[in-house]
Amino acid sequence: MEPVLVARGLVKEYRRTRAVDGVDLTVGAGERVALLGPNGAGKTTTLLMVLGAISPDAGEVEVCGVSQRRSRSAAAEHIGFAAGYLPLAGELRVHEYLTMYGRIYGIPDPGPAIAAGLARFRIEHLAEAMGPQLSSGQRTLVGIVRACLHRPRLLVLDEPTASLDPDVAARVRDGILELCDAEGTALLVTSHDMREVERLSERVLFLAQGRIVADGRPEEIAARFDREDLEGVFLHLAEDRLPEREPPGGQQTDFHL
Amino acid sequence: MSGTADALDPTRPLPAGPRRSWLRVRAIARRNAYVLLREPHRLFDVTLWPLVDVLMFGALAAFVGRGGADGGQQAAGYLLAGIILWHVVYQSQIAVSTGFLEETWTRNLLNLMVTPIRETEYVGGVVLFGLAKLVMGVGLMAVGAWVFFSFDVGGIGLALVPIAAVLLVVGWAISLLVIAFVLRFGHGAEALAWGVMFVLMPLSGIFYPIDALPRFVRPIALALPTTYAFSALRGVVDGDPLDWGLVGIGAIGAVVLGAFATWFLVRMLRLFRRRGYVTRYS
Repeated sequence: MEPVLVARGLVKEYRRTRAVDGVDLTVGAGERVALLGPNGAGKTTTLLMVLGAISPDAGEVEVCGVSQRRSRSAAAEHIGFAAGYLPLAGELRVHEYLTMYGRIYGIPDPGPAIAAGLARFRIEHLAEAMGPQLSSGQRTLVGIVRACLHRPRLLVLDEPTASLDPDVAARVRDGILELCDAEGTALLVTSHDMREVERLSERVLFLAQGRIVADGRPEEIAARFDREDLEGVFLHLAEDRLPEREPPGGQQTDFHL
Repeated sequence: MSGTADALDPTRPLPAGPRRSWLRVRAIARRNAYVLLREPHRLFDVTLWPLVDVLMFGALAAFVGRGGADGGQQAAGYLLAGIILWHVVYQSQIAVSTGFLEETWTRNLLNLMVTPIRETEYVGGVVLFGLAKLVMGVGLMAVGAWVFFSFDVGGIGLALVPIAAVLLVVGWAISLLVIAFVLRFGHGAEALAWGVMFVLMPLSGIFYPIDALPRFVRPIALALPTTYAFSALRGVVDGDPLDWGLVGIGAIGAVVLGAFATWFLVRMLRLFRRRGYVTRYS
């Protein structure tokens, strides 16, 4: 599978604390990957390095073969990013906000892409709404529409369904899956909702203390850690029972399955 | 679809080049225009405050000029021309600074930083919008000075152009420094956007020669490009031909300041990325 994202040896330190410690990460074209781990595991820092918003202390990120360090702008053309916690820019109507971002992505007439994106998530009625009037779920949906206007090869979502009602979260998930299938977009997502991760992703990476401690299909990882599901693995790692890269009873140091 | 057809399809991203950069510049300028129009108090910067300044300094000029002596007329010219040209620095600086601060206030910075927009394109957008605000604010002041006090700033003639150009570049350079400090120190540095102007105003000798300043601050005043621009302005108001020497020193100072501000901003942006300060705004 042709990779859209290759990250090698990513390291990031904040005041002597190593937030990310040698992360290697590859996402193939059209692949759906979840990045999981307890709070402070280094997920968001890893994502922000992939996006070019934070420079790594060591390591390299390539997006569709373009080096993030050498050409951030060219690499960013292949990525779309949305986060559940980010608001819309104030004092703009939804269609104005999306038009602005469409043009930032270099699309002279982003109207058709905006209409298609709003329709995909069944929020056409929000086109004239002002940003501050939107609920958090609606903001998330508009954020994902924004992230996909330029048909990115890689969609990066940080906590896309955080604090959403279950019905809205389901709509977000369905829209994302439909988008990935229709456009062949690869997905890199973080979430604290393990059931959502199991539905959304084909492959899961577990981070703990800034390192990838497991990489594989959700059910395979659960089995490897002798847990029923990903939530069990998550709780296991959150309790810091496994700071080293070793599964219970195993001698392996590499969990790539 | 072929590459050529893609390039012509307005619903697909343009290839890299000036057309795409211009599209991004306009997108940022338009976003700032929406904010200005939808938040009426922002219009105070280009309507109410400029008019208040014209009224205050015009009234002071009228009071000083009541003696009827030539000195009164001269002071009136210094005050009104000085305050109108001061707004070139003020408006150009504040428009770019607050344009950037808006992204931090609305937590839009991360969204922008992960798009392909280049820093130069972003600054180009806020500068373009700032120019529109500048024309509004300074234009209104010129009209106010003429209507309220029969002072025609246009009477200064073409000499206004190089003087205003120096002041414009200084305003932009200060805004880049303000943005750099906000990137480095966060919200605590926002006050600089306004505060630095209060420091610069008296030191630049807008209404008076810097000999009028206390001796110990004169070296600082002499280091400011604005000092030379306003000195040249006073000469023109006195009826003398434009002193190109003063304008030249001011222009060189403005370019040096601009180059330093750009270098400093690039350094702070690197530090911002290296230390992960973007998380302050997300």
